[in-house]
Amino acid sequence: MRFLLLLGWMIPFGIFAQSTAITGKVTDADDGIALPGVSVVEKGTYNGTVTDLDGNYTLMVSSSEATLTFTYIGYKTTNVAIAGKSNVDHALAADIAGLEEAIVIGYGNQQRSKISGAVGTIDIKDATSVPVLRTEQALQGRAAGVQVTQNSGQPGSTQSIRIRGTGSLNNAEPLWVVDGIPSGGIDYLNPSDIESISVLKDAASAAIYGARGGNGVILVTTKKGAKGQPAQVTYDTYYGFQEPWKKIGLLNAEEYAILMNESRAAAGLVPLSQLADPTSLGEGTDWQDALFERAPMVNHSFNFTKGTATSSTAIGGSHFAQDGIIGGEKGRFERTTFRVSTQQDAGDRFRIGQTVNFTHISRNALAENNEFATPVVRALNMDPVTPVSRPDGSYAYTELIGSDIANPINQVATTYDNWMTNRFVGNLFGEYDLLKELKFRSSVNIDLSLGSQKIFLPQYDLGVGENDPNRPAYEWREVNGLIRNENKWSNWQWENTLQYDKDLKNGDRIQTILGYSALYGNYQNIGTYRDSLNSNDPELAFLDNSLNFNEQAPNASGGFGESSYLSTFARVQYELGDRYSMSGTVRRDGSSKFGANNRYGIFPSLSAAWNLTEIPWVVEKDWIEFAKVRASWGRNGNADGIGNFDFTSVVFNGQNYTFGPDQQQVNGAGPVTTSNPDLKWETVDQFNAGLDVDLYRGRFNIVLDYFVKNTNDMLAVVPVPGVVGFLPAATNVASARNKGLELALTYRGEKGDWDYDITGNLSVIRNEVTGLGEGGQPINTGGIFGAGNDFSAYTDIGLPMAVFYGYETAGIFQTDEEATANTAQPEAQAGDVIFVDQNEDGVLDENDKTVIGNPHPDFTFGVTANVKWKNFDASIFIQGSQGNDLFNGIFRYDLNTTNLPVSALERWTGEGSTNEHPRITHTDANQNNRVSDRFVEDGSFVRIKNLQIGYTLPQSLQDKLDIGKCRFYVSASNLLTFTNYSGLDPEIGSRGTLEIGIDRGFYPVARNFIAGINVTF
Amino acid sequence: MKRILLLLLIPAVLVSCKQEFLERTPVVGSTEANFYKTPEDALSATIACYNTLQQEVTNIQGSSGLKPHFRWFFGDIISDDTDKGGSGDGDDPQLYDYERFQGNSAGQMLLVEWQVAYRGIAYCNLALQKIPEIDMDADVRDAYLGEARFIRAYWYFNLVKTFGGVPLVTEPLASTQYQQARASSDEVYTLIKEDLEFAIEFLPPRSSYSLNALGRATRGSAQGLMTKVHAFLGEWEACYQVSADLVGEGEYSLDPEYANIFTELGENGPGSIWEIQYMNASGGNWGQQLEGTFTNVFQRARGQFNGYGFNLPTQDLVNAFEEGDPRLAATLFSEGDVMGDRGVFTIDATGFPHLYYPKKYFNNAAEEAPFGDPNPNGHTNDRVIRLSDVLLFHAEACFNTGRTEEASAALEAVRFRARGNVSYNPMSPDAVLPFISGGDITLEDIWHERRVELALEGHRFFDLVRQDRAAEVMQAHLDEHFPNSGYSFSAGVNELFPIPSNEITLSGGLISQNPGY
Repeated sequence: MRFLLLLGWMIPFGIFAQSTAITGKVTDADDGIALPGVSVVEKGTYNGTVTDLDGNYTLMVSSSEATLTFTYIGYKTTNVAIAGKSNVDHALAADIAGLEEAIVIGYGNQQRSKISGAVGTIDIKDATSVPVLRTEQALQGRAAGVQVTQNSGQPGSTQSIRIRGTGSLNNAEPLWVVDGIPSGGIDYLNPSDIESISVLKDAASAAIYGARGGNGVILVTTKKGAKGQPAQVTYDTYYGFQEPWKKIGLLNAEEYAILMNESRAAAGLVPLSQLADPTSLGEGTDWQDALFERAPMVNHSFNFTKGTATSSTAIGGSHFAQDGIIGGEKGRFERTTFRVSTQQDAGDRFRIGQTVNFTHISRNALAENNEFATPVVRALNMDPVTPVSRPDGSYAYTELIGSDIANPINQVATTYDNWMTNRFVGNLFGEYDLLKELKFRSSVNIDLSLGSQKIFLPQYDLGVGENDPNRPAYEWREVNGLIRNENKWSNWQWENTLQYDKDLKNGDRIQTILGYSALYGNYQNIGTYRDSLNSNDPELAFLDNSLNFNEQAPNASGGFGESSYLSTFARVQYELGDRYSMSGTVRRDGSSKFGANNRYGIFPSLSAAWNLTEIPWVVEKDWIEFAKVRASWGRNGNADGIGNFDFTSVVFNGQNYTFGPDQQQVNGAGPVTTSNPDLKWETVDQFNAGLDVDLYRGRFNIVLDYFVKNTNDMLAVVPVPGVVGFLPAATNVASARNKGLELALTYRGEKGDWDYDITGNLSVIRNEVTGLGEGGQPINTGGIFGAGNDFSAYTDIGLPMAVFYGYETAGIFQTDEEATANTAQPEAQAGDVIFVDQNEDGVLDENDKTVIGNPHPDFTFGVTANVKWKNFDASIFIQGSQGNDLFNGIFRYDLNTTNLPVSALERWTGEGSTNEHPRITHTDANQNNRVSDRFVEDGSFVRIKNLQIGYTLPQSLQDKLDIGKCRFYVSASNLLTFTNYSGLDPEIGSRGTLEIGIDRGFYPVARNFIAGINVTF
Repeated sequence: MKRILLLLLIPAVLVSCKQEFLERTPVVGSTEANFYKTPEDALSATIACYNTLQQEVTNIQGSSGLKPHFRWFFGDIISDDTDKGGSGDGDDPQLYDYERFQGNSAGQMLLVEWQVAYRGIAYCNLALQKIPEIDMDADVRDAYLGEARFIRAYWYFNLVKTFGGVPLVTEPLASTQYQQARASSDEVYTLIKEDLEFAIEFLPPRSSYSLNALGRATRGSAQGLMTKVHAFLGEWEACYQVSADLVGEGEYSLDPEYANIFTELGENGPGSIWEIQYMNASGGNWGQQLEGTFTNVFQRARGQFNGYGFNLPTQDLVNAFEEGDPRLAATLFSEGDVMGDRGVFTIDATGFPHLYYPKKYFNNAAEEAPFGDPNPNGHTNDRVIRLSDVLLFHAEACFNTGRTEEASAALEAVRFRARGNVSYNPMSPDAVLPFISGGDITLEDIWHERRVELALEGHRFFDLVRQDRAAEVMQAHLDEHFPNSGYSFSAGVNELFPIPSNEITLSGGLISQNPGY
């Protein structure tokens, strides 16, 4: 951006007759240092020059009554009248508040002081000085209205991002645009290659992305280098280790035995022989200790930038590797990136540029996020009596729990699941200046991603001896097998824009852009499986090593899908002097995913801003440096959640049946869903009002926004009567609303050698479903195994999405008489839970379920503070969420011999012992463990996300070593978390849009400590 | 100037390639317009009709989560033959409610039964609509149509037995026709009989199918189902005719060994008239059932046997068997029995105090799935209609039409095989199952024989309803099993299950609820 601005001013277009020579020197107003490269222009003309290394300039002007305009990045543009002088010196004041900073908005950029939409910017230096492993993490807690949650702590796992609340039942993720190209997946970027990130939050800013901008847009601009810039190399490296930050308190072996015996006694059963003598069992096995380990992480990254008079180049490469705190290398994530980005001028009017990115990712992964087959859930539910391994070294199986709960250490040892991606993203663009103000640009982008998955299933047997009859089904695999999948995604995009920017004579400015874009993507895959490999060694796992030559049922599959978009768009931005600015956008999108009846959609928007700074009332108050109010309205669409062929009913093969003693499968074919030719995008209408204020010479900065976002035509599957026979297709019938308030505050200051700044942001968002279609019924999701696979989340009109829904409890029956008196719960006895009969009909059933919790937070916030003293710097980043509930679905109460949290020791044992925890029971006739508020917990937390201390070598030493800068630092992430939640981590993401905050054995985020070096040459 | 002209050409080029760029059709699978053209398509469309027969544990529309609706839930657990079981009363609490006749119309097992039946009917309707348009061999085409009609009749029979009159859907519905009202049960039975008559006429006999086609609907399957339908309607003369035809055509014979019927080798045996096929090597999982059955794991004991422990035979059922009846040992496991190759059945080994476990759908460890999760991949076929079932209906029809000698012969055929293919010798010390002559035979004898011959095969509850004994027998069962609970079987109400309330709502109120619910 910087070079674009300089570019505009530096290349002279036409020479006008000059008569007077003006000279002068430009310095920094604060410290008097000469400023080189300042642009000095005769106002209203294109006649200008640039100050030299000593800050001096010479300019021939047409008249001595002209005015000179001084412009420099980071400083305030000022106009100085020549007034007959021949020497005009000027001291430029720093633009502390960054009002003139050019912010990247869609298809161009705009000065911060003029923006009329709600655009959040992430200070990338702030964000990447904290080692971020994925680009999404750079956004967490740093922009008001942007909520980033992890879906898992496992290395390489994705994150859920919500901009201004969840606006869809299907896909609520925002659109990522990298260097102007919508990008499917951001994991290929090395965060160090990023120059800036802008978040387009309101509809007016995002409207230029039309049918894909409904959930907000995140613009990422990568480093490009600048013209005339001397060669610079930066090298960053760090090394650190991670460890789990919390353990859940579970019963030890003795406590477990006591409780199990008690529960069996209540059911009239004698204790199990292994548990007959509790005290002899002692502590037993600590499965969490066995499961978690300390894991290293390392990163190397280098960047090279250089510019000549007519070109600029940026080259970058990195290597990053992180092991998992569960499984070590079984959870390893590795990424290697390389990129080259160059831009060249060909003559005065033509520019061409290329960027090539190559990324190689390898990810080993363990099962996660379900409550029946993941190492975390198995470790938490496994009984403490079973040892991890037997004296002979083999892993032990539990004799006490049936089904699902297998030895997690063995599971980690026998998991070989690797996903490898090679991704190539390339871009080529050309820009041609037809006229001074009219520029045509065409760019072509190619994105090719090859994903290769290898899952090796080794043969293993935890039984004692051959064919151990006591061996549970999950603890042996008789035959090994290998699954291999190859996937290919390829996209190309061609975009053409015509831009007209003109500074009018009266001081106004108009910027228009007209664009046309075509996008095509396809996906192909092949999947294969063979078993009985000749060796159990994972290194030798190849399909050709299979010894099974029987004609097997189909074990190869492969498919293809494709989609395309065509769009035209136009935007006009008009600035009335310095006072008003407004912007209008219209975009027309067509997609192959939409039904034939609704092929194209139109997405308009309008926004306006009023700069109050020159108003007398504001000018009076010299503590107000800058003030602007703005408002916008726009309509976007959300099309990314629609499948490629959802608009038609497809007749699928695979409705098979088997015949004969040889069990031959025969193919059957038929449609699975009804069709919907009216299928179209979800429409998001958003109104936004905002206030930007800079106080105290720009030291104190406030941004306040209020928004109302309505999503209509939301896709929902409305149930059809069973007599239809086929499953219903999704129809655009539902609606939802999100509204809220965002506040961002920044304070900068300095005192002597101390420099400090503190930034905070706060978001308050309220989400509500406003319609589910005619005949639409509430949606139940979030089945919890521990509660008999009953649903825990509920979405209905008038409620936020996916609230927790179940029975309300009212204490414990203290006596049998109390229990029999309660006719709604006929199976209850003393010690059982009292459930509230909401409708008081004397029967406890589905109608007595009610809202028991809300996973959406009351507010979220983030605070970053940086302090600099001489050569030391320190920073702290705190992030938190308040008022969100979590559903604890970790424990498998449905398998009545699993381990329990220590809170189970406070069970009811007699009248008056407790009114909170029920008695221990084997049969649970009263269904004490049904979905109820017993399992809903407060998930509010405050987390010190990062704490960092750094030291930069003194300038003198740096000069001696001939390096630009060298900084050493130590940093800790996820250092401390303050929360009342009893599970492993309160920062639980979502599993699909309608399952939020349900803990199914969440793989916790690790605490890490790293030490690193940044060097610049 | 020239540059600007050149520039204007570019958008013109772009605009021209617009329309087809946005029209894409799927290449995996075909659209309905492109399918149903060749004889192979006809076969595929017919096989799709069979596929829903295997959907025992499946998703319900509008919510995630799988619900089972096994035949034995309705036929055995609801009756006095078995108790629910599972890990406790909280395991499938809705089934527990129905077992005690406390259930209501919100039960998900009813909803999934309804939805799967209509899913099957929809595929049959589609096949019946599309196949006649295909140019192919007339006999083959009629056989496919016969299969589709037979399966449709099977589903409607299930629906009318469970719910009474239901909406009659005989062709694919347009979106304006989604809301349907109930037909009367007579109208449903009329459709069933029409479909079965067509099927009986056009389906080939079992002997004409190759070994690899065992499991396809045959003429005998249609005759067998028709026998049941007539019996349920009390049309005894017609029932007599059809069952006589089936037996007389000689396609089926009783498996010489009763215990053999329910083994892996006994699948599709000589007496198998209609058997739903399953196999263990399709790689199905909890999300996608594919070709395996869940019945094996559901009915196996808990504890070391790794089953879910459902369908527990009652003492009442055990007592119903006559002294020395060899079929008792083939029907259930008692304490001390060896459960196949999985070990000895003791109370400790199962972890629960139950005394009996079902045996007919038990599978050995050696028969488990060779890969994948064994639980959704059970191999045991569901024996829906067996020859002895038809023989006993024949006996009942004979009795009800005054042919007592023939009734006695049919009854004796079943008992003869049960005895081990020996006649009853009153002199012998280990003689079992006395011979019942035409003069002595009573309806109760035949009904008793049905209970012990077909125990745990999903027949009992519907037999009791059909025999007009449900109220009396079930009330006695409730009184004994849940003393002082006040549970009662409402005569005239509980013989049918309530229509799922979801379906009533979705029909816009056109569907009316069964009385008493």
